[in-house]
Amino acid sequence: MTAVVARIRAIPSWQVTLGFALLALGFLIAAQLAAEGPRVRYTTQERSPLVETALGLQTQQEQLKQQILDLRGKIKGLEDQGQGTTAQQRELNASLQQARIEAGLIPLTGTGIVFRLADSTQPVPANGNPADYSVTARDIRTVVAELSLAGAEAIAVNGERVVATTGVLDIGGTILVNSAYLAPPYQISAIGPTDMLEQLGVSQGWIDFIQTRRGRFGVDVSFAEPATVDIPAFAGSLNLRESRAVPPSQAPAP
Amino acid sequence: MSAVAFILGVLIVGQIRSQAGDSGLAARSAQDLTLLVANLNTRNDQLRTEVGTLDRQLQTLEQGGRNGASSLTQIRDDEARVRAWAGLDPVSGRGVEITISGAIAGTALEDLVNELRNAGAEAIAIEDVRVVAATVIGGGGGSLSVDDTALSDPFVVRAIGNPESLVGSLTRMGGLVAQLAATYPDAGVSVEAVDRLVLPATTRDLAPSHGRPRL
Repeated sequence: MTAVVARIRAIPSWQVTLGFALLALGFLIAAQLAAEGPRVRYTTQERSPLVETALGLQTQQEQLKQQILDLRGKIKGLEDQGQGTTAQQRELNASLQQARIEAGLIPLTGTGIVFRLADSTQPVPANGNPADYSVTARDIRTVVAELSLAGAEAIAVNGERVVATTGVLDIGGTILVNSAYLAPPYQISAIGPTDMLEQLGVSQGWIDFIQTRRGRFGVDVSFAEPATVDIPAFAGSLNLRESRAVPPSQAPAP
Repeated sequence: MSAVAFILGVLIVGQIRSQAGDSGLAARSAQDLTLLVANLNTRNDQLRTEVGTLDRQLQTLEQGGRNGASSLTQIRDDEARVRAWAGLDPVSGRGVEITISGAIAGTALEDLVNELRNAGAEAIAIEDVRVVAATVIGGGGGSLSVDDTALSDPFVVRAIGNPESLVGSLTRMGGLVAQLAATYPDAGVSVEAVDRLVLPATTRDLAPSHGRPRL
């Protein structure tokens, strides 16, 4: 006991003062945080459930897409097992597989190019529009269209395969492709001929895009030409609620 | 003192992490988030329907494994569905017909196609050109072309899909038709629901020649 008292007495007074000052600082910080807590909660109260719902739905979407890919795999497996039973069945299976390839329902690998688009890091001037300095849905559509013109035969944006029904949507700066929420930066992969980059270089649309979006607003456009580019299958629904297939013989000539 | 600095650092890092944990969505307005949620909901419903369709297909395949006739019919049905959806075969159904007269920019026609896709169009054709993934619109100012086919004035865009949703989406206040009218006061845009449309197949060869299937 006497040893403890002697030890306390031995502490220099400046250390005691500093100790009290730090304690006071701690209280102040705690008080500040406690006072800010309710305000922060209040302003995020309106959004937080919506953000959680959106993220929850996105997770669900990923699971559903995986389920679709798994089911397609199983179906194909069974069809392959049935192969060889009759020549007619083999022929039909081959033609179904070819239709799936042409529809974008099968992953592809081949020569190509990968573009990466990221928001500008330039400061937005006082009279500038912040949207001009971010990657927009139109930017994605422009790159997809220019790549198609340059000969691309399969394109994906952040893993979402571009198919006949693919729409690109901009909701307040958030980009959706195939109704899937994509987080920046945006990676646009394309399989096509080895001269796609040269083709882009002579396209007026591409030159305008680069001059305006990169030159004027500093949107980051970079690319890579890996040995092979992998494009995933479209993992969505073949939405045909209203459409009926017309046998080619009954259709009007195009 | 260094311990105090360390704790302070930990607190700051924790605070920054808690703010960044929502992948940037927190910065969006409640209105935008509501739209985003609605979009994700619609898409997830479609995906569930697709899971149901594939499930049934799988069951039929499993049950009829030994019955050659039923699996042949199923393969034919499946192929017809894939080909219609991909634009490889003509399709018919309800939808909308949009007639455009006067000069508009190529980007305006691209916007229209994109809007139709976002509104759930199942198949689209511009005049006799079926729109597929690689379809590109070119030109402008009265000389538009689609996949190298020149468009006359006026020209018609036809889309198969739920007519109410498609008409509603195009003609809503501030929607695409209103935007076109404001941007191109001299152009005419009319939207009409149609009971039966027949859209042609694409004339493009969709078979990949640079990519090979990754199975």
